[in-house]
Amino acid sequence: MRYSYYPGCSSEATAKANAHSIEAVAKALDLQLEEIPDWNCCGATMASGVVGDFTQLVLTARNLAIAEAKGQDVVTGCSSCYLTLAVANKKFKEDAHFRALANEALAADGLQYGGTLRVRQFLDVIINDVGLDKVARQVKNSLKGLTVAGYVGCQTVRALPYEFDDPEQPVFMDRLIESLGATAADFPMRARCCGSSSTIPARDIVLDLGYKIFQSATAGGARVIITPCPMCQLNLDAYQSLVNRKYGTNFNIPVLFFTQLMATAFGLSSEARAFKYNIVSPLETMAQFAG
Amino acid sequence: MEQKSFFSAPVKYDLTFAKEIFRLKNGAYIKQCMNCGMCAVSCATKDVMDYSPRQLFNLIKLGKKEEVLTSNTFWSCTSCCTCKARCPRGIPIIDVMHDLKKHAIERGYTDYPQSAFYKAFWAELCGRGRMFEGGVTARYFLNRGLDEVVKAMDMKDVGISMLKHGRMPLLPPKKIKGLGGLKKIIRKARELEQKEARQ
Repeated sequence: MRYSYYPGCSSEATAKANAHSIEAVAKALDLQLEEIPDWNCCGATMASGVVGDFTQLVLTARNLAIAEAKGQDVVTGCSSCYLTLAVANKKFKEDAHFRALANEALAADGLQYGGTLRVRQFLDVIINDVGLDKVARQVKNSLKGLTVAGYVGCQTVRALPYEFDDPEQPVFMDRLIESLGATAADFPMRARCCGSSSTIPARDIVLDLGYKIFQSATAGGARVIITPCPMCQLNLDAYQSLVNRKYGTNFNIPVLFFTQLMATAFGLSSEARAFKYNIVSPLETMAQFAG
Repeated sequence: MEQKSFFSAPVKYDLTFAKEIFRLKNGAYIKQCMNCGMCAVSCATKDVMDYSPRQLFNLIKLGKKEEVLTSNTFWSCTSCCTCKARCPRGIPIIDVMHDLKKHAIERGYTDYPQSAFYKAFWAELCGRGRMFEGGVTARYFLNRGLDEVVKAMDMKDVGISMLKHGRMPLLPPKKIKGLGGLKKIIRKARELEQKEARQ
């Protein structure tokens, strides 16, 4: 299966582990990801706060316009990119007035978008295009005995509610965990917010929410947290030590991209697992599975 | 005993501000709010907000311009979409919050650190077509000044570990090839958005 791939800006910096593991897992599952040529930043959830959502949706749609000629589904591994791309795409499909105006703006650089594509989160592709049966057949190192908290976060399931999972009680991440042989932790905070981009301007928001998420995950017996979102991964991994400092706790729970966990279970290389980018080291916890 | 009137004296509402907000891209949705409070109980950051979304919408309807534009409510919104997914009246609350952020910046209400962060993000996007976290952070601290740098000193451990783990490149990514074209698109989009807003 072939897809147009939108890596997103974090793939080049804070979330290299996401990019490496997605590309490796895709290869192992015969998915061809073709990077959208000269893609631009989607504007995340920030641009619309400065220039308004019309301009943001248009600049996001530049990527869809470039990808449209191939007619392949657009897949991204970032929740924030998924939110903006999927919402822009929906607007192009459903709102003729918006489409006409947005195309007038895109025409300033000779582009047009007809709204014919589908935008997908990589998690959705794994669940619905590949299927968990095929995932289970790829497992070389079963993760039996490992309890994992599947942290879905916000935008993956709430960008377009019910697009591929329940917006409040998502289940597919847990099913993926089970298909790798691991146990899904009872984890009520699985779809709550991590504080997103508040890290720099209002850090306490992130620390307080992180504390609740770690509590919930560890109370459910989890030894690892997995997530599909670069922002969630960054906040929970890089700021875990500050949560411990603020709350006097000693959480030491690795936070992996779900594709890093898949790469481990599939017995892929250490480049594919990309553990070296993790700040809370997963080496000890994952040693017995990483073959 | 003197019989008091059942009705209190009529309150004069100044609707100028409410109308100004209703004219924003998603502003008219605020009229649909029935004050049920679902947004307040759903919000991830309600504990740090001056007013919950519901309360903020009420203040807008009451014309309380200063209270609204100086509140931290919309700046605290993380766009987690929980309220948007739950609102029984279908108000896209996060989009209203984005409009309010833009409006506050345009009106010069930029005391909250988040506004500097948002502007830094936008400047980076326009300069390269892609995001460079190092650049956003640098622009943010330049804008906020030394005080903010001092406050953030305990973040240095985070920065060091990010560097050590290869997650914080010191050099920005290359500009996209179509940056000139992207800027033309953005300029045209902003022009069209303003034209729409005037209608």
